[in-house]
Order: sequence, then structure tokens, then C-alpha cells
Amino acid sequence: MGVGKRDEKKKSSTSTSPCALLRSAYHNCFNRWYSEKFVKGQWDKEECASEWKKYRDCLSEHLDDKHLSRFLEAEAAFGSVFQEGRETPVKNTAK
Amino acid sequence: MDAHSLSINSDSRIVMVKAYAQEHIYKHPWERVTSASWRKFADPENKRTLSHILEVDTLNHKLDPLSGKLYTTRALTIHAPGPWFVRKIIGQDICHCVESTVVDAQSKSMQLTTRNVSLQKFIEVEEKIRYDPHPDHPTEWTVCRQETSIRIKPLSALASMAEKVEQRCAERFMQNSVKGREVMERICKYLEAESSGMSL
Repeated sequence: MGVGKRDEKKKSSTSTSPCALLRSAYHNCFNRWYSEKFVKGQWDKEECASEWKKYRDCLSEHLDDKHLSRFLEAEAAFGSVFQEGRETPVKNTAK
Repeated sequence: MDAHSLSINSDSRIVMVKAYAQEHIYKHPWERVTSASWRKFADPENKRTLSHILEVDTLNHKLDPLSGKLYTTRALTIHAPGPWFVRKIIGQDICHCVESTVVDAQSKSMQLTTRNVSLQKFIEVEEKIRYDPHPDHPTEWTVCRQETSIRIKPLSALASMAEKVEQRCAERFMQNSVKGREVMERICKYLEAESSGMSL
């Protein structure tokens, strides 16, 4: 896919995640939307759809199948806070 | 305030749970404090303070546009080194957790629940954090209530030293809570400065 960048020269963390840049892009977008729209009363729609998709696709590809399915099972077992009609989580693409 | 309490677990055995609760008041409005909470783990400077948090990934999120509720699930990878005798039993220093969050923008409440996913043979930790506007200063201050419970699984290899391990865990959590609050205050101040800059 060629997405995983290796310019992690700036050692601000011990993060070795191949999705780190996409994650940052999504989180930055989310933080802006949260502070500027969501808490100010504009909760009718989400933003950051394309950042989320790119990040999520990367996670699907790179997050260990074992880890990912364990997280998702755990979430289901804990009685997820999501009600019905929840968004499909990261797809467990066979790798 | 902390306590050992007795509770009945799902197969009707009485188990010991170490639990403690803390409350903290942020002299910042709820909107700013909850914004800070989302930034807590990602901010590069703050990563040094919260160095035990190795990775945070968002697994899922859903907005209910009618109720104004935001549901999010995140995966946290935490560096949780124990004393050598614990490491011999558990065999690893890394713990995976799941954090589920609900933010209600209408009623202004935010609740996070974090539980461990790995090491469940040995230990169950659950931490709940709530952010609500302060009842006396609802537009200016925010109350944060945190409850943590730690339970060593009774039949696990750690059971014989359960009390010691629980105590150590509790101490570690307390330290991390203090660090977490420091980071939150720092971010709140930053956001406050940013917003007053913008309103000029």
C-alpha cells in the first residue's frame, strides 16, 4: 500500500505504529471538530470521514489480526456502549 | 478514599476488590476539559509525562445525531512493569486495554470506562472517569470523578500475593492519575490561551 512512512525521525514517542501519521491526521481533525463544532451544539453531523477511512484501512491492514479481534471481542463482551445500528468496526481483512 | 469491598462475582463467589475513588475540580468549562481529555495521550510534550501510554488507537466511533451522543472505542497499549516476581509469573510488561467513551453534548456529560483486555487470567482493572459541569459553577468549572477497581483473580498464580500486587497497582494508578491531571491542566491552559487569542 506504501502508506507506512518512515520519517519518524522526530522521536517524540516510542510509537512504531505504521499508521501513526494517518492516526495523527485523524485525531487532529477529530479534535478540531470536537472543540469547534460538537461541544458548541453542532452535533448533527460528523466530519473527518476521509481521514477516518484512511486511518481505519491502515489499521485493518496493519493491526495484528490477533490483537484486533481480541479488542473487538472484548468490546462486545463488555456490553458495548453502542446501541444497535452501530457502525461496523475495522474490518478484519484476512491477511 | 479507598476501600476493600466485598462483591459477589458472576459465579457467586465472594471476592475482594480493591477500589478507590477520587474527585478533582478543574477551573475550566466542561467543553475545554473534555477537549483536553481527547488530547491527553497524543500531545507530544505530554507524552513524556504519560510515558507509560505506548499507543492509542481509535477502533470505532459513532455519532447519534438526534441525541447528540458520541460513542468511541479506543485501544490503549500500556507499559506496566511490575516487580521481578510478578514479571516472572505474568511474563510481560505490556498490557492492552479498551476504553469506551460516551459524550453527551446535550446534557454535558462525558464518561470513559477503561478495562484491561490482556492479562485477564491474572487481574481485572476497571477505571471509570466522569466529567460534569460543577453544580455551583456550571459554565466555569468541571468536576472529574474517577473510580478505579483492581481485582486479582483468585485462582491465578498471583493470588497468594494478591494484596501486595493490588497495593502496588493502586499506587501506580494514583501516580498516573496525578500525572494525568497535570497533563489535563496544562492542556486546558493551552486551550484557554488559544481561545482568548482567537476572540481578540
